[in-house]
Amino acid sequence: MAYDNETKKLHDALVSCKVPDIKAAVDEAHAAGMPANDIINVLGDSMSEVGVLFERGKLFLPHVLAAANGMKAAMELLGPEMAADAGEAKDAAAVVMGTVEGDVHDIGKSICSTMLQCAGFEVHDLGRDVPKANFVEEVKGGCTFCGMSALMTTTMTVQKEIIDMLKDAGLRDKVCVMVGGAPVTQGYADKIGADIYGESASETTRKAKDKL
Amino acid sequence: MTEYYTRMGDGKRVLMTKEAIMADIQAGTADAADMAEIPALTSADMEKLFEIISDKNRIVGVEPGKEVVLTYDIGQLDFTGDNGNSGNGVDMGRLEAALLHERALGADTFELAHADYSIKPVKPIIANEMQTMEEIQAEIIAPYFYGAMPNMGLYYAPDGPYGNPADLMREFKIEESMASSEAAAEHLARDIEFVGTRIIAAGADGFNFDTTGSAGDADCVGTLNGVKALREACPDAYINVGMAGESVMGIHGSIEFEGQVVAGLYPHQQVKVAQKAGANVFGPVCNTNTSKSLAWNLARAVTFIKACTDVAEIPCHVNMGMGVGGIPMCETAPIDAVTRCNKAMVEIANVDGI
Amino acid sequence: MAVPHYMASGMGGIRSAGDLVARMEYSKNMKVGEAKEYVAKKLGISTLDIADEFIMRELREELRIGTVTAVPGVPRGIAAKMNIEKLLDIKINSCEKFRGMLN
Repeated sequence: MAYDNETKKLHDALVSCKVPDIKAAVDEAHAAGMPANDIINVLGDSMSEVGVLFERGKLFLPHVLAAANGMKAAMELLGPEMAADAGEAKDAAAVVMGTVEGDVHDIGKSICSTMLQCAGFEVHDLGRDVPKANFVEEVKGGCTFCGMSALMTTTMTVQKEIIDMLKDAGLRDKVCVMVGGAPVTQGYADKIGADIYGESASETTRKAKDKL
Repeated sequence: MTEYYTRMGDGKRVLMTKEAIMADIQAGTADAADMAEIPALTSADMEKLFEIISDKNRIVGVEPGKEVVLTYDIGQLDFTGDNGNSGNGVDMGRLEAALLHERALGADTFELAHADYSIKPVKPIIANEMQTMEEIQAEIIAPYFYGAMPNMGLYYAPDGPYGNPADLMREFKIEESMASSEAAAEHLARDIEFVGTRIIAAGADGFNFDTTGSAGDADCVGTLNGVKALREACPDAYINVGMAGESVMGIHGSIEFEGQVVAGLYPHQQVKVAQKAGANVFGPVCNTNTSKSLAWNLARAVTFIKACTDVAEIPCHVNMGMGVGGIPMCETAPIDAVTRCNKAMVEIANVDGI
Repeated sequence: MAVPHYMASGMGGIRSAGDLVARMEYSKNMKVGEAKEYVAKKLGISTLDIADEFIMRELREELRIGTVTAVPGVPRGIAAKMNIEKLLDIKINSCEKFRGMLN
């Protein structure tokens, strides 16, 4: 396979979570003639691995952010070339994220927002105890993913209410609905008509990327 | 081919063959062993776990003589609560709940809790809690604790004075995020000492810290420092440190307790810092994956907990509630699944209590 | 979830001697085996018997350390715990506080 050496170096540098190493590996791959899209794809796949390592307690949030910072620098360097290759600039998909109204638990949701941001999504994190209408407004404003978290059995029902509001507003077909939180299950997600159920932040991010 | 009724992690009933159950047991224990770098279950343990899971009886139990201590967290809220905490929504007084658990439900210990079940909101109403503690101690016989979650999330904006570290990280303000976590951890430790010393002064047998580390590694360090201060102030208090998950989430990443980075610690490592801080009993936790089977979840949980009890110098009471300890994430956890988890934790993981 | 836990693996609290074993785990950091042996020795019965409701029902009444049923005249609350202190040779915080309130 072409660029085997560069691919390995890019992967190792990103998983090491050291920004200078990531920049050096990107420069080296670029100088060797590796296409910009391929470089970013390798970094993206490695970023998913970083997310899994975070969840398995092998890496911590500052590491994840350092890796994301390195990837951001690579995007800035290679963005013009990628746009030229594609014929036009491609905007990042926008995601609205929030813990639903009545629920103040936001650690899991915040980690999920961070992982999505690291994967290249434009994240609009509304925080916690978010009024239902605010999710709908963000979708109206152009978010194509809507992520809703709930940590309590008494608030998970709000996820369905928001899906119903999206339907009533004629927006349901324009948005990929993601649900998560401790009491939420795949069965519940299917029942309320969500598109993605995330057992964890990295699984949610992987499933969201698959929908792009 | 014979099939056995068993459960998924969300509680749904499924039929599985012996081969499928054994494959999930092997995968579950391998996952825990890989994550925590601990031994996987032995072949004999896995065979025993299969026997427990595939037992034809609806309810299983430990052999007479192998019973263990049954401690309760969340206090009266398991009756009165309805916030996704397995509460029954039955309103009753705290004295009635305590005596019901002691006299009808076989509780070996019980506890008093505030409706919010967090340290921070207890501080301004501590006199009220002290008065109730004195009243119930006059009636109850079993050890009676005060229980609360450290819940350091309440110290971050918009609920508290410190910036939200996860949000700051997302803005690449890494140093600011770490400083915020450290300040909140110090605040939490102070509040633990404040609340803990007063409730012990009111006659509480001890304090149960539930879901330690739920807001990440700084939450864990704040709690451990609070436990240390409480131990120094109240040398004879019963202190129970229960965790939030199998791994301490690294939001800060490098914050330490007594020279030990706590991010990424697994139960067999967590117990060491808990005993160093002054805990009498440690409550290890393993969260349930709702998309996997009972066999996978229970094998994984037993692997973590067995490694913990193997090295612990203090008793370990494993957390066994909705969505932890192999038990399905289901408000009405199926009785067949719950009793299988109990038996496996006692007879394979060698816990001292549940 | 209290009922399945008790049925599957619980000692039974004051229905047997679970509260006493718990006190030894918490006050002396004893693992369950050691705590059971300590309590059994103090009660003068076997470790199998300390979780036996039939044996412990009568014994608790005799030792005046509290029973689940409201037997008139049998100590409960602080009085029962004071007897437990003597039986197990430990101090119990609420009893200490109670004594501290007496003139």
